[in-house]
Amino acid sequence: MVQNESILQIENLNKSFGPTHANKNICFTLKRGEVRGLAGENGSGKSTLLSQIAGILCKDSGQMQKDGAAYDPKSPLEANEKKIAIVVQELGLVNTLPAGINIFLGRTDQFSRFGIVNMKKVYQAANEQLEKWGLPAIPYHRLAGEMNVETRKMIELARALSTDPDILILDEVTQALSHDNRLRLYEIIKTFKEQGKSIILITHDLEEMIEITDTISILRDGELIGTETSCEINSDILKTKMVGRKLDGEYYRADAEERYEDEVILEVKNLVSEDGLADISFEVHKGEILGFCGLSDSGIHAVGKAVYGLSKLQTGTVCLKQKNIRICNQTQALQNGMAYVPKDRDHEALMMAASIRENFSMPSLDALRGPLGYLSTRKLNRMAEDAKNLFNVKCTGIDQPMNGLSGGNKQKVNLGRWLLKDPDVLVVDCPTRGVDVGVKAYLYQCLKNAKEKGVAIVLITDELSEAIGMSDNIAVMKNGKIVKTIKRSSHFSEEAIIEVMI
Amino acid sequence: MNQEASSAAATKRIKAVIVIILVVLAFGILNRYVDGKFISVSNFNVLITGSAIPTFVAWGLCFIFAAGITDFSIGAVLILSATVGGALGNKMGYPGLILGGILVGMVLLLINFQVYNITKIPSWIAGLGMTMIYEAVAAYYAKLRLAQGLQVVQLDPQLRALGHVPAVYFLLAAGLAVAYLLYNRTTAGLNVRAVGSNGTIAKMMGIHPVKALIIGGLIAGFFFGIAGVIKESYAGRVIAMTGLSSISTIFLPLAAVLLSQVLQKYINIIIAIPIATLFISSIFNLLTLLGVPSGTWQETILGVIVIVFGMIAQRKEKGVIK
Repeated sequence: MVQNESILQIENLNKSFGPTHANKNICFTLKRGEVRGLAGENGSGKSTLLSQIAGILCKDSGQMQKDGAAYDPKSPLEANEKKIAIVVQELGLVNTLPAGINIFLGRTDQFSRFGIVNMKKVYQAANEQLEKWGLPAIPYHRLAGEMNVETRKMIELARALSTDPDILILDEVTQALSHDNRLRLYEIIKTFKEQGKSIILITHDLEEMIEITDTISILRDGELIGTETSCEINSDILKTKMVGRKLDGEYYRADAEERYEDEVILEVKNLVSEDGLADISFEVHKGEILGFCGLSDSGIHAVGKAVYGLSKLQTGTVCLKQKNIRICNQTQALQNGMAYVPKDRDHEALMMAASIRENFSMPSLDALRGPLGYLSTRKLNRMAEDAKNLFNVKCTGIDQPMNGLSGGNKQKVNLGRWLLKDPDVLVVDCPTRGVDVGVKAYLYQCLKNAKEKGVAIVLITDELSEAIGMSDNIAVMKNGKIVKTIKRSSHFSEEAIIEVMI
Repeated sequence: MNQEASSAAATKRIKAVIVIILVVLAFGILNRYVDGKFISVSNFNVLITGSAIPTFVAWGLCFIFAAGITDFSIGAVLILSATVGGALGNKMGYPGLILGGILVGMVLLLINFQVYNITKIPSWIAGLGMTMIYEAVAAYYAKLRLAQGLQVVQLDPQLRALGHVPAVYFLLAAGLAVAYLLYNRTTAGLNVRAVGSNGTIAKMMGIHPVKALIIGGLIAGFFFGIAGVIKESYAGRVIAMTGLSSISTIFLPLAAVLLSQVLQKYINIIIAIPIATLFISSIFNLLTLLGVPSGTWQETILGVIVIVFGMIAQRKEKGVIK
C-alpha cells in the first residue's frame, strides 16, 4: 500500500561525466510502499541516477534526503547501512569466491570470531535469505564464476535483500531472468510493498513496468520529464514520452503465418550435451525464425552453444544441409557462415576493453586482410566507420572502448558485426537483454531484414512476447528436451506456451 | 541435471584416484632402480626439509596471485630476510632470527605493494625494478662484509634447528593451519581474493581495495619471511645474487602453485601446495638419485614442469550449474 509519507527525496541532483551532463536538476520523491519505475532510452541517465542513490557514484550537486535526514552515501556499503540496496545492471559478483561469500562480501565481519569467519554461519544466513524471500536454492560453496547469468543474478538479489533494505533498487534485473524466476521476483516486489518498503526499478519491458509499478518516472537526455501513474498510461504513450516522438512502424512482425522457404539450412539431430541437452532435434529453414523458450533449467541457452560448436557433444550432429557440412567446433561454424550472439554480452561476446573498431572487425578479419595477411588500418577504419553509421551506434568515435557504451549500443555492435558478414545461420540468445524500446525495435528490424534475406535464425529468448512476436515456429523446452513445437499459424499465446513450459 | 552433475563429479574422482595410483606406481618402480633409496624414512626427512622453503614461498605466492599481482622480487626478498634474520639471530638468538626474518619479509612486501599502488605501473615491471634494488642491497652488504674479511652471514650452528627435522614438521603444520585460515576463513583473505578477482565489484561491495591489497602483501611477506628464516637455518648462510638471478629461486614454488591450481578442483589450494611441493621435490630427488646432473637437466625439467602445470592450470572447467 502506497503511503503518503515520503521515504526518499531528491532535489536538483546533477551529475556530469566530462562534457556529458548525465543527470540535470533531477527532482524526485519516493513514497513508502511505492514501486517506482524509471523509463528512458539507453543513455537517458537512469542508471546514473540509481547509482547515485545507491552510493556507487557521488553526486556533483543537489540534495538527497532519506526519512527526512540528509543522505549522501559515499559507497554502496554506506547506502546499505542507510537501508538502500541495489542490484546492478551488469553482473556484479566476484567470480573466484563462493556464491555464499558473495552474498555477504564486505560484511563478513559479522560472522567472525577472533578474526576467523565461520563459513557455516555465512551459508546458513545465505540460506535463510533465500528461504525468506522464496528464491531458488543456490549451491553456496560453488564459485560464482561457475554459475550462469541467471543464477548469478539471483545471488545478487539475495545479496541486496540480505541488507534488509527499505528501498530496493533493481536495475534491469528481470531481463536476466526466465519466466519462473520473474514470477518469484514479482512476489518479492509484492511482499516488499506490503511491508511498506519501496522499490525503484528499471526494465525495458514496458508492459512489465506498467504492470508491476505504481508510478513511472520518465527520463530523457538526463532530465526527468515527468512522473505518471502506471494504471493511467499505456506502453505506446510511454514509448512516445521516452523517445520524444511517436515510434513509427511495427514493433514485432505483423503477419500471423509462418513464412519461410522449403530449403533446410540447419539440421540438428539427437543432440545430447554435457550441459544438459537431452536428445534435441530440429530443422531451421531458409528465412525461418525458430524461437526457443522455456524455464530457467530447461536448457534453451545450451542450444545456442551446442549449435555453434561451443559445447562438448556426447551424441548428435549439427549439419549445414546446403553445404553438407557437419559442424564440430566454433571455428568451423564461423568459417561456414554461422554466427552466434550469446546472452552474456559482456563476458562471452564483446571485448570490453577493446575499441568499437576492433569489435566490429574481429569476425571479418579474414575478409579484410590483404596479401600476406596484412591488415590495412584504412580498411579497418572504413569498415568500422561504415558499420557504426549503418547500425547507428551512439559513441564518441570508432576508437571508443566498448566499456564506455550503453547496453543498447553494445548490443548494436554485438549483433551488427555478424549481420555485416551476411551469415546463413544466425543464433541469437536474448538479443534484446538490457536494451531500450528504441534499440529493441531497431534490433527486431535487423532480424526481420535478415529473415527477408533468407538467413535461418535461431532465436533463444527468456521473453515470451519476443518469441511470439518474432518467431515462425516456437520450440518449447523442458528438462533439456523440446516438448512441443508450435507454429505461428496456430496463433500461439503466452498462456499456451507457459502451460507447456511448466 | 543433478544426476549428470553427480556422475561428472564421480568421473572426476575416479580420474583423480587413477592419477594418484599411477604416481605411486611410478615412484615405486623408480624406487627399485635406485635400490630402495627413494622410499625410506631418511630420504623422506630430506624431502620434507627440502620442501619446506618452497612450500612457505608458495603459500606467500598464493596471496600475491590472489591479489592479482605478479612480483618477481620474491627471490631477492628471501635473500634479504634470510641475511637480516641471520645477522639478528647471531646477536639476539632465536627471537632475533625469527622476528628479523619475518619483519624484513613484511616490510619489503609492504614497500612493493605501496610502489604498485602509488606508481600504478604494472606490478611485474615494478617488481623487476624492486628485484634489482633488493639484490643490490644484499650484494652491497656482502661486499662490505668481505671487505672486512668476514663471510656474508654465518648463522650460529646452535640456531639452525628451524631448518632441520623435526622443527620443519612443526613449522609446516603451523604454516598450513595459518595459511588455510588466513586464505579461506578471514575477512582479510576473502577481501584480497575479491580485489584481485575484480577490484571494481569488490569496491562496490564496500571493500577498500588499497587496504585489502596491502594486507595481502603483508600476509605474503610473513610467509616469505618464514621461508627466509628456514633458508638461513638450513644452509647457515645465503649467498647474495645479482643480475636478476634471484628470480630463478622462485621457479620451484611457482611450479608448486601452478600444480596446486590444477589440484584445487579436488582440494583447497592451500592444502594442495605442500602436496605439490613434495611431489615436485620428489621428482628432483629421484632425478638426483638416478644420477641426472643438477643445474642442467634438472633445471630443464623444472622449466618444462612450470610450463606443463601452467597449461593445465589454465584449462577451465566447462559447464555451469543448472
